[in-house]
Amino acid sequence: MNQQLTVKKGLAAKDLVSVGIFSALFLVFALVGGIFFAPNPVLTFYMPVGSALLCGPVYLLMLAKIQKRFVVSILGVILCIIWFVTGMHWAMALGYLVMGVVADLVAGIGKYKNKKINSLSYILISLGGTASYLVFFANPDGWAKTMLGNGTEQSYIDTMRSTGTVWIMVIMLVGTILAAAISALVGCKMLKKQFEKAGITK
Amino acid sequence: MNTLQLDPRTKLFLILLCVLCAMFSPSLLFQFVLVALIGLLAVVSGKWKYALRGVAAYALICLFTTWCMGVMTGTWRTMFVAFLGLLHKVYACGMLAGIVISTTKVGEFLSAMARLHFPKKLTIPIAVMLRYLPTIREDWHFIKDAMRLRDVSPSLLGFLKAPAMTVNCIYVPLLTAASKAADELSIASVTRGIENPKPRTCLVEIRMRKTDWLAIVFFTAFLALELIWKVVG
Repeated sequence: MNQQLTVKKGLAAKDLVSVGIFSALFLVFALVGGIFFAPNPVLTFYMPVGSALLCGPVYLLMLAKIQKRFVVSILGVILCIIWFVTGMHWAMALGYLVMGVVADLVAGIGKYKNKKINSLSYILISLGGTASYLVFFANPDGWAKTMLGNGTEQSYIDTMRSTGTVWIMVIMLVGTILAAAISALVGCKMLKKQFEKAGITK
Repeated sequence: MNTLQLDPRTKLFLILLCVLCAMFSPSLLFQFVLVALIGLLAVVSGKWKYALRGVAAYALICLFTTWCMGVMTGTWRTMFVAFLGLLHKVYACGMLAGIVISTTKVGEFLSAMARLHFPKKLTIPIAVMLRYLPTIREDWHFIKDAMRLRDVSPSLLGFLKAPAMTVNCIYVPLLTAASKAADELSIASVTRGIENPKPRTCLVEIRMRKTDWLAIVFFTAFLALELIWKVVG
């Protein structure tokens, strides 16, 4: 009964509903992964790593289920809105928005069917979370000002500054890419082993 | 009992104001007043239990914060203050979001968004997402029970003992349930005519009433007060 609905071109209501449900799962896993890191000023740089580690299977199943353009972009926009509303740094929201569109274009190269390219696009969208820290490295003073304006404590920022060196940035970026890659690998295996057999994806 | 019904657009605007209020809040006292204000909103929306719990919990957090600032020193203080800082920032918005989500029907939300000329491609996923979040929590409890039945521990220790097993046991049911729910929900919504290209109609009348304006005025006044306080102090 699903096949009849997916014949239509563009995003049908069915696809929009699916995007909504998978966005909810993506959000929950990203929060669970990031929550241990975010509040601690020493570990806060590794927050994108934690978030990237858990969401891979959700992302890949979403793409396997809805192989259409704009799906990932919509996910990016939703995440952007949520992060902004919960008072995160604007660069993080913007990062997810931009990387969502980029990841969408990349996944489109493989027509959303190639698992390797889908994994690559997952790595790209995971990098969206690092945006606010990249802004921090580019301009620490302006960053501190925004965060202070947002209501973050001075001591948090001081500790972040003393731990935030170029090395941390490299570790954060490489770590995020690695974590996302592992997550995507697990996701691919899971898709093959569990979901394709169960007939949930084609 | 006659409870307050706010327009979904007002609610969204209140959330935006609340984010700004939490951003510019000059002191702990202001944060507390903001939470109390949200509590008041919850009471007039007929959720006095929610309001009572929310405000009481926040009062405890505030007490703990002042105690931390006074007694603790060094690294521990930094850690706790940072953690509490984040908590204070998110608490008010989270509480308001809880009220908004539990009092807004999906139909009302979609109609109000259609009035604002938001694209359907964005409002449908958001509406579905907000409705699905509580379901995930429910599912998670069932999955935890099922895992215990099968002698798979849903804790960190269990994860360390048998990582592949635990990961499978968590992801597979959650994702399968999500996938099934997506199919069923989309069939249900197509049956109810979500793809109808004509403008939506709604049984509940969507319009701005006096109470809407009153709520907006209250929160805007509070934001203005904060800003004035910041400039003067």
